[in-house]
Amino acid sequence: MRVAVALVLGLVGLMAQAQMYVDSARSITKPAVVQYLYPEQITIPAGRPSTVTLHFRISPGLHINSHTPTEDQLIPTTFSIPASAGVRLEGAVYPPGAEFRLPLDPGTRLSVYTGEFTVQARLVATAGDHLVEAKLRYQACDSNACMPPRTIIAAIDVIGRRE
Amino acid sequence: MKRNSLVLGAVLAILAFFGWAGWVNFEFRKQAAERLLAPAPGGELKAGPASDGPPFIPMLLGKPAPAFTLENLGGKKVPLSDYKGKALLINFWATWCGPCKIETPWLIVLRNQYAAQGFEVLGISMDDLDHGNPRALSEEKQEIARFVQQTQIPYPVLIDGDSISRPYGGLDELPTSFFVNRNGIVVAAQLGVTSKAEIEGNIRKALGGGN
Repeated sequence: MRVAVALVLGLVGLMAQAQMYVDSARSITKPAVVQYLYPEQITIPAGRPSTVTLHFRISPGLHINSHTPTEDQLIPTTFSIPASAGVRLEGAVYPPGAEFRLPLDPGTRLSVYTGEFTVQARLVATAGDHLVEAKLRYQACDSNACMPPRTIIAAIDVIGRRE
Repeated sequence: MKRNSLVLGAVLAILAFFGWAGWVNFEFRKQAAERLLAPAPGGELKAGPASDGPPFIPMLLGKPAPAFTLENLGGKKVPLSDYKGKALLINFWATWCGPCKIETPWLIVLRNQYAAQGFEVLGISMDDLDHGNPRALSEEKQEIARFVQQTQIPYPVLIDGDSISRPYGGLDELPTSFFVNRNGIVVAAQLGVTSKAEIEGNIRKALGGGN
C-alpha cells in the first residue's frame, strides 16, 4: 500500500514538473504587438451588409502604420477575411492615422496608430454560425527600430440570423 | 479501519500535492506573464550599446560571423567569404523600415571614409520575397533596387536576408548591424538606430583600432 501511495505521489510530482516545463517553453514566445480585443461574437442579419466595429490594441511604446501611410514603401494596416468563411468582407473603414515624427528624423511625417483603434468592417454573412478567422496585417516600430510585418488572427463568431 | 485511514491520508496527501503544484505553477505563470508584459525601458523595443543588448548579441560576440551566400540585385550569388580579410559592417535593413533610412546616409559616409583601410558595408535587405511568384518577385526586387538608387547606396546590397535570420539571432528588429573584424569575428553589434558616432566607434573596433 505504501509503495502504491509513493508511486502515485511520484507520478503526480513528475506531472507537475512536466507542466511547469511546458509552461516555461510557452512563455518564451513573444506576445503580439497588436491584440484583437472584441467583439468575440456578433449577430447580423443573413445576406445583408452590416457594419461591425472591431477593437484592437497596440502595445505601449509602439506604433503601427495607419491604413494610409505617408510613403509607398511603408506597409499599411489592412484587415481581411478569408474567402471561404461564409462571411464576406464588403469593405472596411479605418481610422485616420495620427501624425508621428521620429526624434532622429523630425522632418519626416508618419501616419500611425497607437494605443487602441477600431476598424469598421462591413460584413455579409450567410445564415448560420461561422467561426471567422479574420486577419489584421500590420508593421510595428518604435522610435529606433522596426519589426517585420506580422498578421494576427481575430477570431470572431459571426451568427447570420435568418429574417 | 486502519487501512481506510491510510487510504484517506494518501488521498489527502495527493490532493495537497496537487494544490501545491497548482500554486507553484500559478506563481510561475504569473511571473512569466509579468516579465512578458512589462514594457521595455522607455516603452521601446530594445537596447542601444552592445553591452546591454538583447541575448543574441552576447551569443554572437567573439564568434565567427555565420557564413551565408545571398544574391545581389543583379542575381549574382555572393558568399560572405568573398570579403575575407576585410572589416565588415553587416547591416540588415528593409525598405519599409523608417529608422533604417535614418542611418543609411551615415553608413554611406562612413563606408567612403574607411574603405581605403579595408572596410566594407554589406547591406542585407529583409524585404519579403515571393519566390513562388516570378512576377511579384521581380517587382519586389525592383522596389529594393529603386530604394538603393534613390538613397545612392554605393556598397553591395544583398537580398533575401530572411533566409539567414536564424543564425543571426532571428532579426526581429531592424536595423540590426554586426561589426566583423578582418579575421571574420563579430566584435560588436547594434540593434536599432543609435548614432553615427557609435557606428563609427564599432567600425574602428572592427578595423582593429579599438574605440
